[in-house]
Amino acid sequence: MSDSISPNRRSFLKSVGVSSLAVASAPVWVQAIQAAPVDDTQQSLQPGEQRITLKVNGQAHTLNVPANAILLDVLRDRLQLTGTKKGCDHGQCGACTLHVNGTAVNSCLSLAVSHDGDEITTIEGLEKDGKLHPVQEAFWEHDAYQCGYCTSGQIMSAVAILNDPSIGSDDSSVREAMSGNICRCGAYKNILAAIQSARGKVKGAS
Amino acid sequence: MNDIIGAGPRRVDGRLKVTGHAQYTADHGLKRMAYAYGVYSTIASGRVTRIDVDEAQRMPGVLGIYHHGHFTELYRPPKMKLNPDKIDRLVKVDESRLPFEDDRVYYAGQFVAMVVADSFEQARAAAYKVKVEYKEEPALATLAQAKRVQSPKTAGSDYSRGDPQAGFDKAAHRIDVTYTTPVETHNPMEMHATTAYWEGDRLFVYESTQSVIVHRNTLARIFGLSPDKVELQSPFIGSGFGSKLWAWPHSPATCAVARLVGRPVQFVVPRPQMFTTTGHRPATEQRLRLATDDQGKLLSVRHESVNSTSFTDQNTESCGSVTKSLYSCPNLAVTHATLQVNHGTPTSMRAPGAAPGLFALESAMDEMAEAIGMDPLAFRKLNASTRDESKDMPWSSNHLQEAFDKAAAKFGWDKRTPEPGSMRDGHEIIGYGLAACNWDAMRCACEARVSLRADGTAYVTCGAQDIGTGTYTIVAQAVSKITGLPLEKITVQLGDSSFPPGPVSGGSWATASVLPAVAEATRDAIEQLKSFAIEDGPFKGADPKALEFTNGRLVKGNDALGFGHLLTTRRLSSAEGEARTQTADKSDVSIRSFGAHFVEVRWDPGISRLRVSRVVSAIDVGQVINAKAAANQVEGAIVMAIGMAMFEATHYDERNAMPTNNDYAEYVVPVHADQPPELDVILLDYPDYALNEFGARGIGEIGITGLAAAIANAVYHATGKRIRDLPITLDKLMDEVPQTV
Repeated sequence: MSDSISPNRRSFLKSVGVSSLAVASAPVWVQAIQAAPVDDTQQSLQPGEQRITLKVNGQAHTLNVPANAILLDVLRDRLQLTGTKKGCDHGQCGACTLHVNGTAVNSCLSLAVSHDGDEITTIEGLEKDGKLHPVQEAFWEHDAYQCGYCTSGQIMSAVAILNDPSIGSDDSSVREAMSGNICRCGAYKNILAAIQSARGKVKGAS
Repeated sequence: MNDIIGAGPRRVDGRLKVTGHAQYTADHGLKRMAYAYGVYSTIASGRVTRIDVDEAQRMPGVLGIYHHGHFTELYRPPKMKLNPDKIDRLVKVDESRLPFEDDRVYYAGQFVAMVVADSFEQARAAAYKVKVEYKEEPALATLAQAKRVQSPKTAGSDYSRGDPQAGFDKAAHRIDVTYTTPVETHNPMEMHATTAYWEGDRLFVYESTQSVIVHRNTLARIFGLSPDKVELQSPFIGSGFGSKLWAWPHSPATCAVARLVGRPVQFVVPRPQMFTTTGHRPATEQRLRLATDDQGKLLSVRHESVNSTSFTDQNTESCGSVTKSLYSCPNLAVTHATLQVNHGTPTSMRAPGAAPGLFALESAMDEMAEAIGMDPLAFRKLNASTRDESKDMPWSSNHLQEAFDKAAAKFGWDKRTPEPGSMRDGHEIIGYGLAACNWDAMRCACEARVSLRADGTAYVTCGAQDIGTGTYTIVAQAVSKITGLPLEKITVQLGDSSFPPGPVSGGSWATASVLPAVAEATRDAIEQLKSFAIEDGPFKGADPKALEFTNGRLVKGNDALGFGHLLTTRRLSSAEGEARTQTADKSDVSIRSFGAHFVEVRWDPGISRLRVSRVVSAIDVGQVINAKAAANQVEGAIVMAIGMAMFEATHYDERNAMPTNNDYAEYVVPVHADQPPELDVILLDYPDYALNEFGARGIGEIGITGLAAAIANAVYHATGKRIRDLPITLDKLMDEVPQTV
C-alpha cells in the first residue's frame, strides 16, 4: 500500500452516500487509517514497551505499548477507535468512559499495560448487527446531545447505570449517578429522559 | 406543502453521534501522522531568557522542537471590521500576537515551545524535558489590581441620549450600585485541536472551528497564501460557545510545524491550556445608576462597564449593548472601557456583553423596584420599551409582555410574597426571581448549492458548520419544505471551506443566514429542472411558470413527473441550484429576540445548600425550525447560565497571575445533579419575516442572558442578601441569613 499523502477527492466523493448523511465518516483528503485488528507479534519490543492483548468489542489485538501509554490513547491512536473521546485527560469530565470487563471506567486514567487480557467495550461495540443499542436509540430520539462530543461517555455510563441494581431508578438517583459525565452543552434534561425511556429495554450491558 | 418547519424530527446526524462515528478534529488519524505537544509559560509576565532542548532532543521519536529562536516567520492577519455582507472575506484573530513571535511572555500558559514526535506519548515525554528559563516581571492578575495602577481605556462604543445626569438628579427614586463578574471560560467538551498537513504549497487542515471560511482565510493570510491554497474541514465540532470563532495560536503553530517536519501533525490543546490560550469571557465591573419618578417610570439609566483585556489586544465586553433599548427611558448613557491584565486575550463567550450586562441591569431593575416598593414584574412591564429608542425605530416583533405573562402564569408568580425569607417549605426557604432576556438578531451573507439528483435525492453543500445546534437537520428541513422530499432523501454536507461560503456559527446568526441561501438554491435547482422538462416529454414547450413542483414532482394539470425519472430519462446527473443571499434590510426596523426567565431557588440555611429548583422561561425567537433542537438550545443555555450564576469563575493567583483552577475539577460547571428538577421552556413562535423568509431569528444565545440575574433576584428573595458579585457561591450567603422556623 502506498503511504504517500495526496488529496483524495475521488474517495471523498465516492464516500458520499445517498441514503445517509455520510458526513466525514469516510476518508477525506489523505487516506485515513482505518480501524483493523492489530497484531504486533512480529514487531520487536522497543525499550520500555510491553506486549499486551486487548479484546476490544470482541476483537483481539496484540499490541506493543510503551509503559506510559494511556488506554484511551492506545484505543484512539493505535486501534483507530475514536468514538471514545478525550475531554480533559484528568478523569474529571467522563467523556472517555468505556467498559472494562463490564465496569464503567475513565479510560484516560488507566495505563494500557494494566489491561493485558481485559475485555473492553467502547461505544463502537454497542451496536449489534446494524441495530442500535436501546440507549443509543433513546439518545437519538430524545435529542440527548447537542455537539455530541460527550455522548459516547454519557451512553457508556448510562448503560452501566441501567445495569447496576444498586442505583435507584428515580430521576434524582440517575442524576447523581450520571454526574461524572459533564455535558457542557447542558442537554441534561434530555439525557435523563433518554435514560429513563431506555430502562426496561436494556438487558446485559456489554 | 408539508409542515416540516417547526416539527421536531430527530437529527439527521444523530446516528453518527450515538455510535461514535461522528469525526471531530482529533479523530482524523492520518498516515504517517506525527503528534505535537506544547510547552507553556510558567510565568505570566516577562521574557524567555533560555530554552534548553538538549535532553528533549535526544528523547525517542522526537522530530523537532520549535520556539521563538527556531521557527517559521508568520504574517500577522490584518485587523478587519466584521462586515456581515462580506463575512466570507473576513480574516480575524483575537490574539494578534502569533505564536513564537519573540521572547515576550504576556500570560501564563502562553506557548513557549512545541515538540513534534512520532507518537503522542513521545511528544508529551519530550515536552516535559524542555527546560525554559525566564526573567520574570511583575504581573497583574485581576481587574481590581489593574484598576489600582491604570486608567480605564475607552472602547470607543459609548452611547447616550437625553440628559442622564439631570434625569437622575430630579428623580424621586434612585439607586447607584456596582456589580462584578469574573473571568469565565467556555470549556467546550472538545478541546481545541488541529490536524494539518502540507502538499507543496497547499495546506490541508482539520480544525475545530465555528467558521471554516474565516479560519481558512486567516490561515491563508498568516502563511502568505492565496485562500484557494488552503482547505479546511470541520464536519463535527465539540461545540465552542465563542472560543472557536477565531483562530488561536495553536492553529498556525500546528500548521507551521507540519510543514517543518514534512508530515501530517495533530495537536490537541490540553484542558489546562483551554483556560489560558483559547480565550475567555473577561472580568467586568459595572456601575448601574437608575432613577424613576414616583410612579416607577424610568427617568435615567446609566450603565458604565469596564472589562479586563490582555496586554496584546483590546477586546470589549459590550455589557451595555442591551441596556440601550430593552427598557424605555428618555435619559440614558452606556460606556465601555478596558483595563489590561496578564491574561490571554479575551473573546466572545455565549451572548457576549448581554450575559454579564443583563446580570447587572436585571439585578439593578429588581433593586430599583424594591426602592420604589413595586413588584419586580409590574415594574418591568411598566417600563418595557415599545420601540427601539436607541435607533428610533419600531421593533420588528417584540412579544416581551406576552412572555412575561405566560411565564408568570405557568410559574405561579402571583403566589410570591414580597418579603425576603417569607416563603418556606420545611427547613428550606424559597425564593422567587425573574429577569428579562434579550439578544440581537443578525443575518450574514451566505451561499449554498443544492443538487437534485437522478436517483431522486437532494444533496446540499454550504460552508457553514454544525457546532451542535442542529444545523445539519434544519438545512434538511428547509430543503424538505420546498421539495417535499423526506429527510432521508436529503444529504447535507457542511464544515468544508471548499463549499459555497457560509457564515460563522456564532452570535445566533447561522440559522437566519443559512436557511434563506439554502431555500434560494433549492428553488434555483427547481428552475433548472423545469428548463430540462420543457425540452421534451409531457411538458414539451410548456411555460416553465405553469409547472408546479410538489412532493418531488413536476406537475401541470393531470401530468406529473418525478424529478429523478426526468433526469434519468435525459441521461442527466442532476439539476443544480446555487444562491447567495445577503443581510436583512434593517434600515427602518430593529430586530431582536425577547423573553423572560422565572426562577425558584431553595436555600437550606442549616446546611448552607442553595439549589435552583425550578425554571420557567418564555422566549420568542421567531419561527422555531426544529422543536426538539430549539428547546434543547434554550435548556442548555439555562444550564450554562446556572453555572455562570452559581459556580463559574477562573481564578488567578494575585501574587503572580497564574491560573489556579484551570481544570474541569476546580472550575466548577453544572453537572447532571445541578439540573433543576423542573425546567419549562415556552417558545412563543411568532415568525419574524423582517429577518428572513422563514421568520427565524436564531436561538443559541438568548437563553443564557438574564438568567443569572433571575437567580440573584431569587436568592435575594430567599435570603435577604443581594449578591452583586458573581458567582453566588455559598460563602457569600453564610452570614446573617434569616432564621429558620
